[in-house]
Amino acid sequence: MKLPRLFLILSLAALLGGCASSTPRMAEVRQFAAQSPKLNAYQELTERYCGTYPRQQPFLSAAADQREKDLDLRRQDACGDFRKLHIGVTAYMQALGTLAGDKQYDLEDQIKDLSSGIKAWPDTGLLDRHVNAFAGLARLLSRGITRQRQESAVDDLLRDGEQPVQDLLDAMRTLLRLYDKSNDNEQRIVLGMLETEIPYVDAERNRLLLALAKSQQQSKTAEYRLIGLRYTLARNNLDAIERSHRALAGQIPQPK
Amino acid sequence: MAHHPQQDDIEALADNLSASADALHARLMRAIRKPAPGTPSSPNQPGIAQGVAQALFENEVALRQRANGLYLDAARLAAAGLGPQRQQLLELTARAQEKIDQIARIKDLVDIAADLLAVAAGVAAAKPEQVVKPLENLKRHIEAL
Repeated sequence: MKLPRLFLILSLAALLGGCASSTPRMAEVRQFAAQSPKLNAYQELTERYCGTYPRQQPFLSAAADQREKDLDLRRQDACGDFRKLHIGVTAYMQALGTLAGDKQYDLEDQIKDLSSGIKAWPDTGLLDRHVNAFAGLARLLSRGITRQRQESAVDDLLRDGEQPVQDLLDAMRTLLRLYDKSNDNEQRIVLGMLETEIPYVDAERNRLLLALAKSQQQSKTAEYRLIGLRYTLARNNLDAIERSHRALAGQIPQPK
Repeated sequence: MAHHPQQDDIEALADNLSASADALHARLMRAIRKPAPGTPSSPNQPGIAQGVAQALFENEVALRQRANGLYLDAARLAAAGLGPQRQQLLELTARAQEKIDQIARIKDLVDIAADLLAVAAGVAAAKPEQVVKPLENLKRHIEAL
């Protein structure tokens, strides 16, 4: 009877199939997707940019305040769009991560259920080795089908996403640069007001005012230095995401 | 991306205004720190009157606000017209979700195979009562496809 030999072959095949696992490229895709929280720095600085007015307001003259109010109306109007830029990229990166997921294609649990389900039926004439061979075959088939599907689905997504992701990252980088420059002017308005008014404070009569003004000067200087560092971090984060994205997109096999 | 040459011009103009404001500020601070003429007895007295300093600083602020208005215009141009790209990414994400769902259905197929085998085993053992549950599972799995 040839059946035992067939089962032997199936078992061997199943054993080999069991060795297959997620490719290094899928691991790289997952690594890229895991960087999506890095876009939070962009989001944080967008919020800071959109909240410029109340920070600046106490340091403005009445005329400057009126001009800043008008500017803020236009700023708030644009901020809706600025906030949306990262949402598409974040959603894309997360979907890519799920699609390239290690567990996503792991049918091990189902295969185990399959074997144990059958073992629950004694006296059927089905021997353990038959069951194992069947499970092995199912494992092999499901691996073959889904691994291939995984690779091609991830490739499709990378290929179709390459240009829009690039465009959005470019725009985010430009916006960060413009926020940063705008922040420089904000800083110079706030610190400049203190710097030009402090020399006129009578140190004898207004000791408290002078102390408060100098203390405010110190804390504002520290605040703007920290924000400067956040801009550097946000820019580096965007660069890192762009580099990994380019590297992945460069590895996509040509569509058949 | 549709890059706007206008955006670069606007940004360059704003950079110039910011630089002018910086220069103005440096002049202003020099004037304030220079001791007022004819008052060597009070070296801490600012070199210009407070009203003059405030008026000059007001000019500096106005320049910076004008520059920030232009940076905002440049930013709006940079973000404009990206609606299609955003939409495309959201559609791609939705399609990826569909594929993720398809893969879940393949997992269901493996479950169905298990159900079938269980039915077969029940039949082989000639125990019809043991076939009922696997058949119900099978029905549920097929309906879920």
